[in-house]
Amino acid sequence: MTVKPSRDRGPMNARACALWCASALAVSLSAGNPLYRALVILVALNVLFSLKRPDVRLGPLLTALAVAGFTATALTVLVSHTGRHVLATLPEAIPAIGGALTAEALAFGVASGLGIAAAVLCVAPLSQVLEAHEVVDALPRATARVGAALGTALNLIPGVGRSAREIRDAQRMRGWEPKRLRGWSEVAVPVMLTAVEDSVRLAEAMEARGYGAGHRTHYAIPRWRAADIAVAAMSVAAATAFVALRATGENSDWFPFPDLTVPQVSVIGVLACLVLMAPAVIWRR
Amino acid sequence: MSSAVLRRFSYRYPRAGGWALDHVDLDLNPGLTLITGDSGSGKSSLLRVLNGLVPHFHGGVVSGEARVAGSDVLRTSTRDLARTVGFLFQDAEMHSVYATVERDIAFGLENFGMARTEMIARVESAMDQMQITVLRDRAIATLSGGERQRVALAGLLAMRPSMLVLDEPLAQLDTETAEPLVDIVGRMAAGGTTVVVAEHRLDGLMPRADRVLGIDGGRIRAAEMASRWGSDDGGGRRSASRAHSASSNGDSAWSLIGATVGVGSHPVLHSVDIAAPRGSVTVLMGPNGSGKTTLLRTLAGLLPPLAGSVRRTAGRIAYLPQNPSALLHRPTVRSEVELTLRRAGDAEPADAILGELGLVDVAGSYPRDLSTGQRQRAAIAAVLAGAPNLALLDEPTRGMDGAAREALLRLVRRIVEHSGTVVLATHDADLATAAGDRILRLEHGTVRDTHLASAVEPARMQR
Repeated sequence: MTVKPSRDRGPMNARACALWCASALAVSLSAGNPLYRALVILVALNVLFSLKRPDVRLGPLLTALAVAGFTATALTVLVSHTGRHVLATLPEAIPAIGGALTAEALAFGVASGLGIAAAVLCVAPLSQVLEAHEVVDALPRATARVGAALGTALNLIPGVGRSAREIRDAQRMRGWEPKRLRGWSEVAVPVMLTAVEDSVRLAEAMEARGYGAGHRTHYAIPRWRAADIAVAAMSVAAATAFVALRATGENSDWFPFPDLTVPQVSVIGVLACLVLMAPAVIWRR
Repeated sequence: MSSAVLRRFSYRYPRAGGWALDHVDLDLNPGLTLITGDSGSGKSSLLRVLNGLVPHFHGGVVSGEARVAGSDVLRTSTRDLARTVGFLFQDAEMHSVYATVERDIAFGLENFGMARTEMIARVESAMDQMQITVLRDRAIATLSGGERQRVALAGLLAMRPSMLVLDEPLAQLDTETAEPLVDIVGRMAAGGTTVVVAEHRLDGLMPRADRVLGIDGGRIRAAEMASRWGSDDGGGRRSASRAHSASSNGDSAWSLIGATVGVGSHPVLHSVDIAAPRGSVTVLMGPNGSGKTTLLRTLAGLLPPLAGSVRRTAGRIAYLPQNPSALLHRPTVRSEVELTLRRAGDAEPADAILGELGLVDVAGSYPRDLSTGQRQRAAIAAVLAGAPNLALLDEPTRGMDGAAREALLRLVRRIVEHSGTVVLATHDADLATAAGDRILRLEHGTVRDTHLASAVEPARMQR
């Protein structure tokens, strides 16, 4: 099979992409095991880097996930004093966090952090791979109006970042000092007001262009190609297999308490995760 | 039968003290109708009656009668009037609903449940008419102001309205991009479409107009030809700054030395060597996207040069961004001005500049409740209050009427008389000739220092 770069033949079908996201999310949520979660993260990152839109920068998303993961880990270590392997001890006098900091809590915290990151990365293609209008077009006909409103709302987001920069620059030139926390209201208030104004103006523009006049049709109908069908089928099969393993007890939850144990994985479970790599293989640039 | 009829039509915005439209009697027919008037005179409100945004979207108090294409505006929703009335907003950026060109043009057609094959044909035809087929897949955020305006107009043309209503369509366009738009508007009017345009820049449109209406305080007044500002005594005005410039000691107020300027790692202008003396007015001109704003931001110190160096005079720098809303966050216009004066340690009363810019009546108003032109004046007052040493103004006449432009010119002259220096980026050739000592033409990544006449003449000839 000849595989062409994605942008040469149009993007991945939005519904196929949504099916992949739902399947990957099902796997990540049913994987109570940090090794599976780590595998899903690697697979999702591979898909994102292979298919992301040219204008998308993944840096901010990955930074936010790293911060969220670290926070989840740190909180678990600080507030859960369960486990036999003590790494350090904080004075008991310190409220809430005083006590033993254990390797078990650290492992559980890391597993939680991986769970958060995996879940977010599984749905990230909806915003990082697809354009807002592709998501809207993929919605069922009954949700066409809500979808159009959603798509236009998503379009406002980049504008907020742009206006925040303009406003910060303009206020700096009027002598605003970014050092004091209270002073940030001089930027935050106009950014918020501008966002509200832009929303109202957008609503006005939509009204003037007939939005809500009646039954909506779609200019673009997402086409299914062989590759899209293959990805959708493989994704659903992978998720079904993974969830079935969980239901049959083949893949059981992993708990590091009271004693730290090595998480177990099955060959079928790993294969199911690897099958989710299909979009990255098919659409690789 | 007239395309639109207003009879004793009055309208007042919610919580507003006065009438935005006051007993308007009007008949609009096929052809081009121009509407002129000062900022806040009621132009935009009148246009919004034609597609029902006034009163349906904005609310408020209304009386009298308004019919458009036979429909009673008060009983027909805006979304239904959209079938016959195409409305172009002042800010083309906010006209776009979707992120890419082709999809955005189709948005209105989708709303009316049009069959897909018909939609495709209409979108193709509209793109062809506006000569934007090559932009089909482009993200709207990456387009220039002129391109955005054409995309917005294509979205309206695709709906094949019998009436086109355009709110200051030329306000953000340079002469080169305005001319094709004027042509298209003229052709549509000649072809039997009712085209209504509110605009301050009348030069290109006036010869094609079938009718010119003035509006003042919400009342339609007898048609009159608006005189072009600055053409009556522009030479006299310029002499003040030039005389001062000649007597200045020649110290540079700002200079760029081998400077490459740009955003991020993308250079926009290469190896620029320019200096301007104190007490001078330098005008930056050039097409949309040529680097005028980037150069101003570099002079302001908001962007570091990618190579070379930038020097500027010590003292206060006043910077007017292209979007006046970026500045305005205080509860009243007066408090915006007072904030600047307080920070600058200037004892000048706020009312001085408010009076100069004709803002005394709205000094107690919330700045964001003002019309576009008034809001622009409020932003100018907020940055130019006191005595800035260097004033950097980005498109300062956006949406401004003749009187406000005169006031701006007086302020520029005052800054120069106090040994201040002004740099302004504009598409407005009249402002350039009236205010500038020197014009820098930005094009294709370079800056060309031109004599005043030669810089402006080509632009004028294209009108």
